[in-house]
Amino acid sequence: MPEKISIRIDGEYVAAQEGQTILEVARASGKYIPTLCWLESITPVGACRLCIVEVSGVNRLLPACTTPVQDGMSVTTHSEKLAAYRRIALEFLFTERNHQCAVCVSNNHCELQAMAQRLGVNSVRYAYTFPKLPVDVSHERFVLDHNRCILCTRCVRVCAEVEGAHVWDLSSRGIRSMVICDMSKPWGESRNCTNCGKCVQVCPTGALAEKGFAVEEMVKRDAKVTRLASRRGGHQ
Amino acid sequence: MAAIAGQTALSLEEQSFADRTIAAHSGKPGALLGILESLQDHHPHKYLSSEILEYVAERTDIPLAQIFSVVTFYALFNLEPQGDHSICICRGTACHTRGSRNLLQRLRLELGLPEESEEGADKLCLTTPDRRYSLRTVACFGQCALAPVVEVDHEIYGHMNERTLHRELEHLESGRKKA
Repeated sequence: MPEKISIRIDGEYVAAQEGQTILEVARASGKYIPTLCWLESITPVGACRLCIVEVSGVNRLLPACTTPVQDGMSVTTHSEKLAAYRRIALEFLFTERNHQCAVCVSNNHCELQAMAQRLGVNSVRYAYTFPKLPVDVSHERFVLDHNRCILCTRCVRVCAEVEGAHVWDLSSRGIRSMVICDMSKPWGESRNCTNCGKCVQVCPTGALAEKGFAVEEMVKRDAKVTRLASRRGGHQ
Repeated sequence: MAAIAGQTALSLEEQSFADRTIAAHSGKPGALLGILESLQDHHPHKYLSSEILEYVAERTDIPLAQIFSVVTFYALFNLEPQGDHSICICRGTACHTRGSRNLLQRLRLELGLPEESEEGADKLCLTTPDRRYSLRTVACFGQCALAPVVEVDHEIYGHMNERTLHRELEHLESGRKKA
């Protein structure tokens, strides 16, 4: 039985269990922390940096999704400073790739777009990089559009943890990071892919989509995948 | 066993070396790095072919995507065959201010290697078509007092200029003729 502890979130005392993350406790007590890469019952990685929170006594901002709670911790989930840093994180995501909402299959059903609206990012202060990126249409049913990818690695983790195929991973590093299939092969040539489509359903943007959908038509259903994952016991 | 041998274009010697390496590292956490390092070192052209990566994936049950991710993350792994001699130019700040860009350009001209690619050059690795030289850049050797620093066949040379660099290149050429 994990030990019961008590932490403070935005001044309110909240009961928690040892081993839980700040995000889990906050969500259980109805507190909203913005996230993009986090997915219920899948191992958190802290890639998007949107769930950063202030912990009193700690000099830097910590990602709520990977930071375990400690007894007596005092967490601030919303402040001017946090809002500013979250906006910066989002702006960098927009500058890094070619996020053209108007021509995207996920327009109006996109978590990145919704998050930008929610956090009030209506302009980007940095220069766009406009990278030249390919679109992989080699798969029979699905499309991978690197222009929309935010490298949240949801597809990587879902494929490895829920489907067990581990078809996806990230290649290179820094600005050259890309989601790749097996040995950077076209998706359609992958021998490990089971064509289950879980990666497509959990992708927060239009980077992974089903074929045959026009602009604004691709609606994702990640709840089906997370329910399956939680029934299997979730991440360890 | 026969099925695996049929799938890959690896020689039996390479396969048995890979098997021994994997066995030597088995059970250790982070074994993949060690396995890949010894396999790359074993190859005469110091690189990891896609055949050997597929073989390792099959033998260790590590997903191919993960292996490729590791290989592309670390600059020390090569996916292309390397030249007989490696010349590595430091592009750190200290060496840059001491003219390492000129050394790089000079070597490019002398070896007939193409200009900087569009991707920008924080990590450059070029091999001449005849596979005699590989030209690489590195962020810093940690020998800034000797700037500009060039590493020729894993030996560090400090205070290099275009003349001394050219001499080193001639040394390599003459050594090649004798051999």
